[in-house]
Amino acid sequence: MNQSATIEIRGVSKFFGNIIALKDVSFEVMKGEVTALLGDNGAGKSTLIKTLAGVHKPSEGEIFIDGKQVNFSSPRDAASAGIGVVYQDLALQPLMSVTRNFFLGREMTNLGFLDFKSMDAITRAEMAKIGIDVADPSQPIGTMSGGQRQTLAIARAIYFGAKILILDEPTSALGQKQQLEVLRTIKKVKDRGDLAIVFITHNDLHAKLIGDRFAFLNRGRILEYGSRQDIDLDNIRALMAGGAELAELEEEFKE
Amino acid sequence: MAQVDERIRKVGFVEGLLRRPELGSIFGLIIVVVAYMLLTGPINVAAGHKNTFFDMWQSPVGVQAWVELTAYIGIIGIAAALLMISGEFDLSIGANVALGGHTLAMMVLAGVPLPLAILVTIGLMLAVGAATGLLVVTTGLPSFIVTLGFWFANRGFANYLAFRVHDTSRLDIKKQLEESKVLQDGAVVELPDPTWIDDVFAFKDGFFGIEVSWLFLNAEVYYFVIVALVAIYVLNFSKVGNWIFASGGDPVAARAVGVPVSRVKVGLFMMSAVLSGFLGIIFVLSSGVSDPLAGDFRELHAIAAAVIGGSALTGGYGTVIGAILGALIFSIVQIGIRFVPLIDNNMFRVIVGMMLLGAALLNQFIRDRVVKG
Repeated sequence: MNQSATIEIRGVSKFFGNIIALKDVSFEVMKGEVTALLGDNGAGKSTLIKTLAGVHKPSEGEIFIDGKQVNFSSPRDAASAGIGVVYQDLALQPLMSVTRNFFLGREMTNLGFLDFKSMDAITRAEMAKIGIDVADPSQPIGTMSGGQRQTLAIARAIYFGAKILILDEPTSALGQKQQLEVLRTIKKVKDRGDLAIVFITHNDLHAKLIGDRFAFLNRGRILEYGSRQDIDLDNIRALMAGGAELAELEEEFKE
Repeated sequence: MAQVDERIRKVGFVEGLLRRPELGSIFGLIIVVVAYMLLTGPINVAAGHKNTFFDMWQSPVGVQAWVELTAYIGIIGIAAALLMISGEFDLSIGANVALGGHTLAMMVLAGVPLPLAILVTIGLMLAVGAATGLLVVTTGLPSFIVTLGFWFANRGFANYLAFRVHDTSRLDIKKQLEESKVLQDGAVVELPDPTWIDDVFAFKDGFFGIEVSWLFLNAEVYYFVIVALVAIYVLNFSKVGNWIFASGGDPVAARAVGVPVSRVKVGLFMMSAVLSGFLGIIFVLSSGVSDPLAGDFRELHAIAAAVIGGSALTGGYGTVIGAILGALIFSIVQIGIRFVPLIDNNMFRVIVGMMLLGAALLNQFIRDRVVKG
């Protein structure tokens, strides 16, 4: 690598009792790049996210941010080191307004009163930066589409200091059109150039569209890892299903 | 370049109004006021009864009755609404009114100076609220169950103690103080009743010596105004209000962004217990008697006011103003029946029950509009 990684995961393993959830996982994410983390259900994706987010401590291995080793003892630790996780359920409140959601837990006040004027302006500006014009930030987000909510959660993470954005299956619960909207948002964030993005997905097409590096997680291990040049993109689908396993299944069906 | 979002549109005034959570209660209030104006006036006359329009709507006695009841239900209704928005219930409100009153009365009877007795009572209510809240957030038991337990226990314990010590659960402070004077055989016992206490809790002779002719209302009315203003500020204009909505809407999501959900809930249970106990104190000091049945079933009236006012039982949605309007509707219906011989007193609960159901249906419709646009 001629460029130092913003976040580097080196030989990380996580055991729960006798269960091996992650084994010897290594990959990097660069500033202004997207590392697509692919894997089927049960591949260890959520354990990996929780380890990066400071929820779990790795049993083995090291995590480096900007070349410095980090040891998170809580999600708060990870957040202050610049890790922003956008979870699949987004941590949003459908009955509350766009602004109230954006600033939830980090409200701006003026003499003890919520400063809606400033918060509305910031919400609009931050949402516009990544492509959504919010006409009325006092609308409840129940009225927004799934893609727009995803954008809100991403904009919020960035505004509150995320340098490494971890997107947990941001396209999986959405309709086709909204999936594309979210991919467009991720592209916009990537083009800013100052954020490293981990894009977790099981959709190989989405990964191919936007990924710079690819890591394939299967049964807690990295099956293959490399940049766009190093990796056979057409092979992605086979790798996703666990490569060899699929071939075996094919044989089985022939009999 | 920002893409224009075609899915968010400006809403007109009428449509905006249709989204307000208070709508159901505004609607209900208009119906109730108009109905009772007709019932006390023209309809009473047509049925051959006395015209009671003046008595209910203009005479000091009539207005006092429903304004004071509104203040009572309003204070605990606001507490119930805030708790409900945070996703919790408090069924022990009525029991805490009695517990607060009895605690104060028993201390006064034991010779504790009144100011100290008031402070200790408020401290005890804070502790009771904290215990209730902590039990809810640490055990994960539904607050309905936890506070149902306290609904039995708090009033029961207050009456048990009163009975053990004074052989009655109805504590008459004035009378027993007089009696204890006699028993002490001439020894002069200072009545622990400085005049400022009366000014603050009973408003008997104006406010701190200021004679004000309109101060004929009981103290809870003035406290109700203060509680309402503070609650509106907290819910709509403070950080904590944002946290209250989020705690009830989706506690997991709220925790994920750093909202101290448990602290919010415990704080609200403490507020609920203190407001209930405070009402108990006011009742005892203004009447001189602590009634073992004080506040009986009032928790249900408080919850009814909150629900009529648009608060969702599932949390995350509601308003303080709605709860106040709910309390106003409630007391006009209850007091108005006295002035309308045509309606049997027993019909009060029937009317309230039907209104509650109507309001709940309307409010559900409004909530759906908010979410679905």
